[in-house]
Amino acid sequence: MGQNEAVHAGTEDGGGDAEEFDPIGTLTLIGIYFVILVLAWVFIYFVEFLGRDLVVVG
Amino acid sequence: MHIHAYEKLWLALSIVLILALIGTVTYGAVGPGVAMVADSQSTIDAGGIDEDERFSEPRVEQVGENEYEAYVVAYQFGFEPTPIVVPANSTVTLQVTSRDVIHGFEVVGTGANTMVVPGEVSEITVETDEPTEYGIVCNEYCGAGHHVMEGKLHVVSQSEFENRGGDSE
Repeated sequence: MGQNEAVHAGTEDGGGDAEEFDPIGTLTLIGIYFVILVLAWVFIYFVEFLGRDLVVVG
Repeated sequence: MHIHAYEKLWLALSIVLILALIGTVTYGAVGPGVAMVADSQSTIDAGGIDEDERFSEPRVEQVGENEYEAYVVAYQFGFEPTPIVVPANSTVTLQVTSRDVIHGFEVVGTGANTMVVPGEVSEITVETDEPTEYGIVCNEYCGAGHHVMEGKLHVVSQSEFENRGGDSE
């Protein structure tokens, strides 16, 4: 992917801004992290914390 | 300024994430009514617990319709009363204090957990469900016997609680 970006940058040479720079791999990775983070939060908060007995209410 | 579409996307997702974190905690406070252990009680004389009307005789007391208060004293190395007997499907306020050093009060496997500081009264209110038995541990190192310091919290049915009547008070 890095090579492709370099090639595009070379051929466009300032013409097409950075529109050709599409780090789809990075986006996918961040997307996966994001999903893990959201699922972990839901599990920790709703299942492990609120799901336990004797929630402190006062 | 040019911002890449992907960057806009993950900026937006970050904001969504922050709002979701704040939102879930807000939901916890508003929906199930999760509260923090507050500094709501006035201080007491840790050396004079024997004269304190609540803690001279650690016990569970009915204070309203389906509302109970448990006065618990933590000491090196245990909790009084043991077991703490409370009725099922009721609202129980635990008032816990220490007569010697700092202790912890954690009902194992539940959300009920607080520090117990001599001279301070830690107050936590919980709602009990079905009859069951919980263990209580001290989770603040309090001395040589810390590892054996434990208590019991027994949630019993309303009728059994009434039958016990005398010995839990």
